[in-house]
Amino acid sequence: MEPLLELRDLDTDIAQRRGTVHALDGVSLRVMPGETLGIVGESGSGKTMTALSIMGLLPPGGQVSGGEIVFEGRDLRSLPADEVRRTRGVRMGMVFQDPLTSLNPTMRIGVQVAEPLRVHEKVGKAEARTRAVEILRRVGMPRPDKIVDNYPHELSGGMRQRVAIAMALVCSPKLLIADEPTTALDVTTQRQILELIDDLREEFSMAVILVTHDLGVIAGRADRVAVMYAGRVVETSATAALFRTPRHRYTEALLEALPEAADGERLYSIPGLPPDLSRPLTGCRFAERCRHVTDECRVTDIPLTGDAHQFACLHPVSPTDQIPSPVRVSSAPVVDAARVAGSPVLSVRNLVKNYASHGRGLRRDAGQVSAVADVSFEVAAGETFGLVGESGCGKSTLGRLAVGLERPSDGQIVLDGTDIGALSGRERRRMHREVQLMFQDSYAAMNPRMRVDSILAEPLEIQKAGDGAARRARINTLLDQVGLSRRVLERYPHEFSGGQLQRIGLARSLALQPRLIVGDEPVSALDVSIQAQVLNLMRDLQQELGLAYVFISHDLSVVDYMADRIGVMYLGKLVEVGPAREVVRAARHPYTQALIDAVPSINEVSRERIAIEGELPSALNPPTGCRFRTRCPLATSRCETEPPLAGDRHQVACHFPLRPESSAAAVQAGAVQ
Amino acid sequence: MVRYLITRVGQALIVVILVTVIAFLILHLLPGGAARATLGKDATLAQLAQFNHDMGYDKPWIQQYLMFLQRLLHGDLGYSYQLNQSVIEAITQRLPKTIVLSLLSTLLAIVVAIPLGVIQAVRRNRWADYTITSLSLLAYATPIFFMGLLMIILFSQVWPILPPEAPQGFTVAEVLADPAGLVLPTVTLAIVTVAVYSRYVRSSMVDNLNENYVRTARSKGLPEWRVVLVHTLRNGLFPIIGLLGMYLPALFSGALVVESLFNFPGMGQLFWQAALKRDYPVLLGVTLIISIATVVGSLIADLLYAAADPRVRLRGSAS
Amino acid sequence: MTVSSQEKDPVRSLWRQGLGVFAENRLALVGVGIFVLLAGLCFLGPLFYHTDQVHTDLTKVHLAPGAGHPLGTDGVGYDQLGRLMLGGQTSIIVGLAAGILATAVGTIWGAIAGFAGGWVDSAMMRVVDAMMSIPALFLFMLLAAIVTPSVSMLIIIIGAFAWLGPARLVRGEALTLRSREYVQAMRAMGGTGGRAVRRHIVPNAIGTVIVNATFQVADAILYVAYLSFLGLGVPPPAANWGGMLSDGLEATYSGYWWLLYPPGIAIILIVLAFNFIGDGLRDAFEVRLRRR
Repeated sequence: MEPLLELRDLDTDIAQRRGTVHALDGVSLRVMPGETLGIVGESGSGKTMTALSIMGLLPPGGQVSGGEIVFEGRDLRSLPADEVRRTRGVRMGMVFQDPLTSLNPTMRIGVQVAEPLRVHEKVGKAEARTRAVEILRRVGMPRPDKIVDNYPHELSGGMRQRVAIAMALVCSPKLLIADEPTTALDVTTQRQILELIDDLREEFSMAVILVTHDLGVIAGRADRVAVMYAGRVVETSATAALFRTPRHRYTEALLEALPEAADGERLYSIPGLPPDLSRPLTGCRFAERCRHVTDECRVTDIPLTGDAHQFACLHPVSPTDQIPSPVRVSSAPVVDAARVAGSPVLSVRNLVKNYASHGRGLRRDAGQVSAVADVSFEVAAGETFGLVGESGCGKSTLGRLAVGLERPSDGQIVLDGTDIGALSGRERRRMHREVQLMFQDSYAAMNPRMRVDSILAEPLEIQKAGDGAARRARINTLLDQVGLSRRVLERYPHEFSGGQLQRIGLARSLALQPRLIVGDEPVSALDVSIQAQVLNLMRDLQQELGLAYVFISHDLSVVDYMADRIGVMYLGKLVEVGPAREVVRAARHPYTQALIDAVPSINEVSRERIAIEGELPSALNPPTGCRFRTRCPLATSRCETEPPLAGDRHQVACHFPLRPESSAAAVQAGAVQ
Repeated sequence: MVRYLITRVGQALIVVILVTVIAFLILHLLPGGAARATLGKDATLAQLAQFNHDMGYDKPWIQQYLMFLQRLLHGDLGYSYQLNQSVIEAITQRLPKTIVLSLLSTLLAIVVAIPLGVIQAVRRNRWADYTITSLSLLAYATPIFFMGLLMIILFSQVWPILPPEAPQGFTVAEVLADPAGLVLPTVTLAIVTVAVYSRYVRSSMVDNLNENYVRTARSKGLPEWRVVLVHTLRNGLFPIIGLLGMYLPALFSGALVVESLFNFPGMGQLFWQAALKRDYPVLLGVTLIISIATVVGSLIADLLYAAADPRVRLRGSAS
Repeated sequence: MTVSSQEKDPVRSLWRQGLGVFAENRLALVGVGIFVLLAGLCFLGPLFYHTDQVHTDLTKVHLAPGAGHPLGTDGVGYDQLGRLMLGGQTSIIVGLAAGILATAVGTIWGAIAGFAGGWVDSAMMRVVDAMMSIPALFLFMLLAAIVTPSVSMLIIIIGAFAWLGPARLVRGEALTLRSREYVQAMRAMGGTGGRAVRRHIVPNAIGTVIVNATFQVADAILYVAYLSFLGLGVPPPAANWGGMLSDGLEATYSGYWWLLYPPGIAIILIVLAFNFIGDGLRDAFEVRLRRR
């Protein structure tokens, strides 16, 4: 069979202020009709550039400088521009990452969706509208005949992504390119969208290129996978084979760095950073970070070899030498009774936080957003308490309340036995020594005009800790602890990569020797290999310094890896709290189970799933009773009364828990045996 | 939307009231106060005292202000002994002509600035962009009266096709009856405006061309003209509507200079002659009316923007 | 940015980096060049080129450029080149002083409004709105008609009303910076509002303020010109470019072109120079925030 699309030795350059970045270097790929090709890689690997090169949508300064893009037997690079444009519009479709900004904000949905028909098929207004309604219905849009007259900002993120898909499919293309189509969405929505793309692929008998950084997304959906690193394809094969027997050392390392793959105490973390693509490179581009590197790797240009399973590696993993299949066993140490005993570091009691909704002027009482509603939990010394939930569930607000950045509307925050609400301003400022915040985006959390030495000295200055010499000594200790050289002190934040910034951020949080660090999505912006470095560092420091963490994340596998205990939040409520393994492996709340089932995993096996429909209701006037009841498959009229958080070690706020506490503990015990 | 409307109109009202307070304060800053200003420097002390008593200027300030406001609401802006007519009458004769001049030159400026800005954005950092940027900066740096004079030299002296003086009609109709005379004032005022507007359009277009939705539009295989003119231009121009309102004070300032230079019988010229003769009632009245015109103009621009842009229209605030 | 490139780049302070970017901008350098040349001409020129700019000499009116008077003489016999120097002093001094005064007043007003927030902010900003809706030139004329303009009076009049722009700008900047994550990070360490202002907000806002100040200077020079044209400038024998230019307007009809073009071009050049410098400074301050 002829491939639908074949890339031959594609080179793409992007001219920038400081020289040319060679974004793609000799990329060769094929996509057969009707198949799904997954392209996976970390940021800067060239996966998005590959997609944009095919579509001819490279950013300013970018151009394909060599190779061929053969689509349906014709090299797009040799066709006249108008022909390429038509091909792009009619035979291909593309869905982008951010549904919030990818639609034209001032154009009605129907007009946008039908525009390709109007332009390419010269369809009349009325017919265009009819067909827009029809395609919107096929992507699962409720009330499509109403939606066509709406504007994008009137829809939720998931709905907008459905619109984007409808728009890409309106001319029935043969190839759909989806560039991180679900990265900006919550996991439950992500699953809906991925399944939609799967279904549509069959319905339209088209091929799909699924570009993503998330190995889990690929594992469940793609027929074949191409792994990219530093502008090259390093390995490509059928999906199952790749995950079962990766051959390239980079693929192997990447799989081992996944939190869900943690087989022992530690994740494998790939050292260093990807190479700078604006410099000339020789040899294997992964050589500098590889465990199995030899001198030969650095000088030889290594082509893709193999037949069905191709890889570009001089010292590949032997096909019999399987990496231990990633079993989903939490590596988190079992909660050590002795360590946890004693008074908790942080105790949150019946915490409530409401915001006035943006009522302006006369009607100030337009409504209240209930961000955190009657939440109680404790964090013991040296423990990691994981907080999971989708965006808007109130987990970040809870974190900000805990470090004193926001004042609670009601309830208590007790830090080391002291109720912070009862303290004077000065005393409260002193309490900040005990608890520190770690941000998702450390770049935004550092003053761009301060050097690292001033950034690290700031907490010490604020708390008047020690004299100049003592502070310098403390800063040096901190750098050693987070594994950075002294040379970083003279530099500015913009000169660092994300992982390095996260280390600096961690060093700053540690400066005052706090007992508790609240990490708000501290690794969510990082690539897998870098994420593993930071997670390992956080765990090492915890053991060394006896720190407690509140680890806030939307990523269940990361929380599973890090936490001793997990709390699950939904719409401002804590719906389940318990030991990490039990919550993840023997969930009691239907929402927790749905969340777990929605997470794409690299061991994608058919499981019985709890699928939830729809999207998060507004926190402005949330549902009465159990807040999850509007989406819960098990809900009855009894759920109109609010269930209390009940239980001993493994608590749940549900009238119909999936399993009793004793059986949850047993399931868990059985799983680890 | 309704709430936005109410808030925005409320703000405008507050601003108008503050403007009257400022005018009132200036009136009392005048040397010799309002009495001297109205009666002129030949008035005797007795006349001044009588005037102050008649006008209530010996009462407490708050009361005086309320009286000032009351007179204002009745259209009483005082009497100009120098013009020998009431200030409001002088203004109502002139204001429409100034509005005609401002509108004409704004229209001309918009018609020229939008294509220029679009070209600059599409060809950004190429020679077309650099050339237009340099020319508009040059226009911005040239004092309007110098620009106007250069126009007169060029089009009335070197190449005499247009009269150097504006039409001297009494009514708007009479002014419009002499279109040739309107050309130079209108164009002069428009040139500086073009410089400012094309800069707005350029930066708004550049911002929008970098947006993701433009990439989406291209991915649909649309021709480039459609991407730029249908998708980007619409979105790029919405905020410009609001900026038109913000530019009004500068536009009126420019009109003041242009009217003086071309001897155009509008508010600006009235104001200029009053300033030279220290005719304070006229000065104050014109300032007040032109400020209210500015507030109303920006209000209209903002409301138009809110009505036109669905992002604002449906969200209910302009933030 | 990778580790290896960091090792190769020498450590450079932000000021040096900014200066580098400024120097890369040719127009900005041209702007500095024009400013230095014009300022040198006006302030150092009279030391070498002596002319009588106080006493009129009616025997030498309207002399065309030639020996003894490189730019000719004006209607009362002043040497035009000498007058250009003298007038430039006034224009530059008033421009700089009024621009700086406006920036200072505006910064303070905007910063207070931005930090106080709430009704204080609303009240202060409505005052700004109100004053802004009075077209500047009308207000200047009104004030100039009340007081007799002198150099210092011009500075005060222009400075007292040109601060509205900077005030809005600084207030916006203060509102944005106040909510930045690094300010929150500092508060989470127990830092006070005073520290936020000192260490974080002022250093980050200062660039915007300085850039805006250069545009204010350019605008102030134009305002002086307009006031002079409208007959409310500094009375003779003091001079400024705007006044000379409007005197030149009258003279053009008689063919005395040398009275018109030199001051006109001088104004255009100095205004352009400050705009170029402002654009260059904006790039230089932004470079520090540019990532990678």
